[in-house]
Amino acid sequence: MTDKSIIVENLTYNYGTLVAVDHISFEMGTGEILGFLGPNGAGKTTTVKMLTGQLLPQDGRAILLGKDIARETQAARKHIGVCFEQTNLYEQMTALDNLQLFAELFGVKEFDGYALLKRVGLEGRERDKVSNYSKGMKQRLMVARSLVNRPEIIFMDEPTAGLDPVSSEAIGNIILEERDRGATIFLTTHDMWEADKLCHRVAFVEQGKIAAIDTPRNLKQLYGKRSLIAEVMSGAGLEKREISMDTPDTARSVEKLFEKEKVVTIHSEEATLEDIFIKVTGRRLTE
Amino acid sequence: MNLRVIRALLKKDAALFTSNRFYLLITVIGIIFYIGVYFILPAQLDEEFSLGMYAPVVPPAFTELTEREGVNIEYFNTEELLRQAVLDGDYQTGIALPLDIVDTWASGGKPEITVYYVSTAPPEVSSAIVLLVQELAYNQTGQALNFDTTEEILGQDLLGNQIALRDRMRPLLAIFILLVEILTLASLIAIEIEQGTARALLVTPMRTSELFMAKGLLGVGLAFGQAVLFMGLVGGFSHQPLIVFLALLIGSVMVVGIGFLVASLARDVMAVTGWGMLILIILAVPGFGVVIPGLISDWARVIPSYYLTDTVNRVINYGVGWGDVGPNLGILTGISALVIWAGMVTLRRRYR
Repeated sequence: MTDKSIIVENLTYNYGTLVAVDHISFEMGTGEILGFLGPNGAGKTTTVKMLTGQLLPQDGRAILLGKDIARETQAARKHIGVCFEQTNLYEQMTALDNLQLFAELFGVKEFDGYALLKRVGLEGRERDKVSNYSKGMKQRLMVARSLVNRPEIIFMDEPTAGLDPVSSEAIGNIILEERDRGATIFLTTHDMWEADKLCHRVAFVEQGKIAAIDTPRNLKQLYGKRSLIAEVMSGAGLEKREISMDTPDTARSVEKLFEKEKVVTIHSEEATLEDIFIKVTGRRLTE
Repeated sequence: MNLRVIRALLKKDAALFTSNRFYLLITVIGIIFYIGVYFILPAQLDEEFSLGMYAPVVPPAFTELTEREGVNIEYFNTEELLRQAVLDGDYQTGIALPLDIVDTWASGGKPEITVYYVSTAPPEVSSAIVLLVQELAYNQTGQALNFDTTEEILGQDLLGNQIALRDRMRPLLAIFILLVEILTLASLIAIEIEQGTARALLVTPMRTSELFMAKGLLGVGLAFGQAVLFMGLVGGFSHQPLIVFLALLIGSVMVVGIGFLVASLARDVMAVTGWGMLILIILAVPGFGVVIPGLISDWARVIPSYYLTDTVNRVINYGVGWGDVGPNLGILTGISALVIWAGMVTLRRRYR
């Protein structure tokens, strides 16, 4: 066993002449949450497919918990959980039966489906057919299903896409609980705010390559700018003033502002991950 | 192979199967329908030959024909009434004799005999009637009429030992029960791929081979179970039950292979229905050949289901044994092995 849960080296996959994943390399430590961010078609899903053994890499390799996923697929899969972006539950079965099926496939002994469903907020609806669930409930069940084997690595593909804030927060909390349990979480998302809140590190993926990978804080420091935004009263009404916080004379500039202008409000502002993504890749996440 | 995994998958598929009304419709109701069809069809064969005739003067040879057992001749007063009866479908054939028939024969001439057929009458009836008139004329004049005839035996000659229609339909119905499971199995798989649940399964430690084994067992179980139930209820195991049992079992494996192939070809359930129906019709052709002797010939041997149909038919309807259908069973086993292998290879690609 290694303290690196995931080691990816030069992972590559092409669909014909289209390069989907282009020699990407990264590592993930045990208990780490890595946000994999990129627009549609950037290669996120293909990467997840290779990391979970659904696709064989055409070049490079992925080591999960010391096992090459392409060669020791079944052994590696015992320790992973996957939450798909697209709802893919057995809708004619009950939530409990859905979980029970996967518990049996994973060989989980003494599986307590009720406890897991309670954990994702589906208590009382355990024996309902999934077809009667709302989208948010289905997504919670998808998250629950990815946890039936208490996985050491969890792949979550857009787990909160299209959900209401309550469901999103519930899933976010489960992700943090799993992190606290020691699980390594590979999270693909479009939601920069979610990534910023949940992830230890984020990777910006564009055209099959990792354009940048670091902690959100470091990325912001490296690529972003911090500033103070003040609203001042002038003859024409409220006006904005911006003072950079990354220059040596920030304090002097603030002092001057208060001396010369009537400041109504003032607050700090830092670059968002969205801003950094645009700066690094030249594209928006949701184009 | 992990039995726990296969059991879990089977349990899941059984749950999905029983919760789907379409599957229930084409299986449970289907089998009731097939059994009903069998029992509704007459158990006895009507061996009487009915013929309409207009004969202003009845030659003695025709009078003898009337007196023969199994021949039912109804005489009409006018040729027009005979024509109408044939047109109405009361008789497939009618013969109108001329007024001067006896005199013409006596003078060595050729009387003009008119034979009426319904348009739907098979061409063989025409030959049979010509032969009949030829025979009667020979009886009457003591000499053959001067034209050529060709003798043709239609289907297997079962003179005095004909098989009732419903018994001839048993192989067709049994094979149909098997074939319908192509649709059931292929749609179960197509739905799994379409809804993405197959992807969810494939990221577990389960092997693809275990998935195929579970699907295969379900398909064989459904097809074989229903076919055996049907054959048991319609007396299909009264002779050489082991051969019939084995043929149906191998046939069920073939059906599973074809189900895999259809599922790998089709993108969704609609496509499964389209492809499945096309294949089902082709595979049912040998069964129709059993019901209507002479309908098909040697070309039917290229249809994989021929060897299953022919085996079941010859065993249950003609009482043949291992020696007679052994080659059929061998070929059927080979075809089934090939089809299931091809089905698994193509489906594995589809699951990717």
